[in-house]
Amino acid sequence: MDFAYTPEQEALRRDVRQFIKDNVTPDVLQEADTESSTAQDQPRGMSPKAAALYKKIYDRGWLGITYPKEYGGQGKDRLTQYIVEEEFTRVGINISLGGSGAPAIMAAGTETQKQFYIPGLIKREITFALGFTEPHAGADLANLRCSAVKDGDYYVINGQKMYTSAAHYATHIYLMARTDRNAPKHEGISIFLFSMDTPGVTVRPLWTIQNNPTAPIGTTYGHARTNETFFDNVRIHKSCLLGEENKGWRVGSMGLNLDRVGASRYLISVRRDEDIVNFVKNNKFDGFDPGKNPAIRDRIAEMWIEAQVCRLMTMRSMSIVERGGKFTYEGSAEKVWAPEHGVRVTESITQMLGPYATLLRTSPHAVMDGVFGHNVMGSFQSGINHGSVQVMRDQVARRGLELPSSRRSAKKVEAK
Amino acid sequence: MDVLLNDDENLIVDSAREFLTHECPTKLVREMETDPLGYSKTLWAKVAELGWQGMCLPEKVGGSAMSLVYLGLVLREAGRTLAPIPLHSTAVATLAITKDGTPAQQEKYLPDVVVGKTVWTWAFTEKDPRFVPEAVQMSARAEGDGFVLDGTKLFVDNFPAADYCLVVARSTPGSSGAQGLSLFIVDAKAAGISHNVLITLAKDKQCEVNFKGVKVPKANVIGPVGDAWPIIERMLDRGTALLCAQMVGAARKDIDMAIEYAKFRTAFGQPIGAFQSVQHMCADMQMWVDGGELLTFEALWKLEQGLHASVEVSQAKSFCNEKCEAAVRQSQSIHGGIGFMMEFDLQLWFRRVSAWSMRMGTSFEHRARIARALIDVPGEVTLGRPLPGTPGAETTPSTWTTRSAAAVPA
Repeated sequence: MDFAYTPEQEALRRDVRQFIKDNVTPDVLQEADTESSTAQDQPRGMSPKAAALYKKIYDRGWLGITYPKEYGGQGKDRLTQYIVEEEFTRVGINISLGGSGAPAIMAAGTETQKQFYIPGLIKREITFALGFTEPHAGADLANLRCSAVKDGDYYVINGQKMYTSAAHYATHIYLMARTDRNAPKHEGISIFLFSMDTPGVTVRPLWTIQNNPTAPIGTTYGHARTNETFFDNVRIHKSCLLGEENKGWRVGSMGLNLDRVGASRYLISVRRDEDIVNFVKNNKFDGFDPGKNPAIRDRIAEMWIEAQVCRLMTMRSMSIVERGGKFTYEGSAEKVWAPEHGVRVTESITQMLGPYATLLRTSPHAVMDGVFGHNVMGSFQSGINHGSVQVMRDQVARRGLELPSSRRSAKKVEAK
Repeated sequence: MDVLLNDDENLIVDSAREFLTHECPTKLVREMETDPLGYSKTLWAKVAELGWQGMCLPEKVGGSAMSLVYLGLVLREAGRTLAPIPLHSTAVATLAITKDGTPAQQEKYLPDVVVGKTVWTWAFTEKDPRFVPEAVQMSARAEGDGFVLDGTKLFVDNFPAADYCLVVARSTPGSSGAQGLSLFIVDAKAAGISHNVLITLAKDKQCEVNFKGVKVPKANVIGPVGDAWPIIERMLDRGTALLCAQMVGAARKDIDMAIEYAKFRTAFGQPIGAFQSVQHMCADMQMWVDGGELLTFEALWKLEQGLHASVEVSQAKSFCNEKCEAAVRQSQSIHGGIGFMMEFDLQLWFRRVSAWSMRMGTSFEHRARIARALIDVPGEVTLGRPLPGTPGAETTPSTWTTRSAAAVPA
């Protein structure tokens, strides 16, 4: 057991902080914050200022930290990634490849695919929109209907994807589609990677409840926009297939599991703990000093403890991966605790600040840029996306504790 | 940074678990509930052979001078089997002598501890049950070459078995709070001491101990006379973290029993563990005990490193109090009626984890302590970094603050 960072790791953190201080200016942040943009026709790829910033970050060796050198990465350990990611996440800059498709491409891609996509993803020249969810397939994702029909050397895609959050600026899409209608539902799915500019792809915005005014940076799920994406006879070459045909379910789940852990997931759920402590230390409202109220102090401490549990669960996942192990349930546990904590702390704060917590970013009298009000609309989203907390509890119980699956037992009983 | 057990730590756990599985069946646990001393002398002698009492004591007295984390792991295993031995109370007292006692005190008392010849305990709480210095009223009056103790202590662990007891008392007349406190080594059989055993949930040996004109020589004072609160606070912090280790060990075994039970107990044609409502209960129990364990060992590790750890200790105890209790209560729910039948073993764990959640600081007290560290010390807090006012805290404001904390419009 060792609960401390090494002097080298502390030095790295100081370097990153200095870099951020020198380079991450508000105007750059504004441009880099593509998911909160309310522009109807955002150009694909990155804005010039954001691109220049990512180039600098890349030059410092802080992109693709855990990826092999031959694919443009740094070949370093996960804790280095964690430290750098933690600092950048705090200012709203995403340097991780979580949710990028990169883990699945590394695991299942051909050499050509790896050479093409991984360096591009690392340098942020390529961004994927994730095409998983459909109108009728959310938590039960394997129920998806979007189809890919083989036609010689091509596949023809038809269907609709929901909540393709990056679709309005992404260069490519990582798409899960059905390639065999007759197979059991998990066994007829394949994954395709192709350009968003392919004819037949259309994107329609879906505005979230964070739309107007937009949320301040650091809000848990402050994204103003997501999308639905339609595929109308989209013809793509067979080389776009990732992994084997009909084996896409396993490839897809690999990527998702790696998406649920790490500094970003942890930090989006605990930032309000810091905010409320720093707020009550410095503020009072005429005769009301929230930092002196015993009930508020008790709740703040309770939330702080929970935030530590989120941190330690993240560290546990890091330790397991760093030792070359695999999670049985630890990643899922993290994905229950952090999002649910995020909701508890957010709702606790609403009852500490009362009507001030309703105020949004642009309102007169808004406190902390309205982040507490915006968080009411965002924190619960973390318990829904990337595997709902209910599904995560199933996984803790079934994979971690080896409790029997209900359907299987029912069948056994019927057979008797 | 690696929060998992290393090879040496695993070795300690494996050997302790193997030993206790053989030597500490629930039959022994049940017998000791009605035993007047409440502990097994045979088991106490055997664990001395394994070196448990001397694990963190200095090598010069025969101890192993090992990390507090190892002792935490052993106490976790002792909690797992509910081992009826006064290891926790002995460790709390003897670690205080090790850390803050004089060489003479260490040489006089500790060799007997290492070989299992003496049992120790400590007495802090009085009628006011709070785990704060304000609660101490007992007086230690200077007289001749020593002190005279008068007063009553409550909830003294293992007192019937104890040979010695560390006693916290007010040596400065009229003092209050953290001022004027001293820590004494007291012979438990000294003239003027009497005790009554309290009847507790855990059926352990918590006692009321009365001191009437008990004479203590000056040589038995640990630390500075009238200014021992920092020493006492560290003693209580170590004890609290070690109690958490014992709690998570017991709670883990308790939920393991419920999870196993859910796999074979059938209802409505399937194992109850196949019902999602039961699965989600089990998942929560697992995560609660995991959380308690991570917090506990972070606290022990920091104490061992000599780092500022009061907040970590209070985090662990507050969380364990509520979540270990919730976990063992859910185990009871999963077991249904059989869980609270005396002849079934589960209740042995339930009663102890519950009782331990009420000792050494309530959740409210520990959270009040955390709130003081978070809110009352100036400076910005950052999760995962040292708090303001503690060693290693960043003195310059962080570079990532994107909004001003002083944001209330005038």
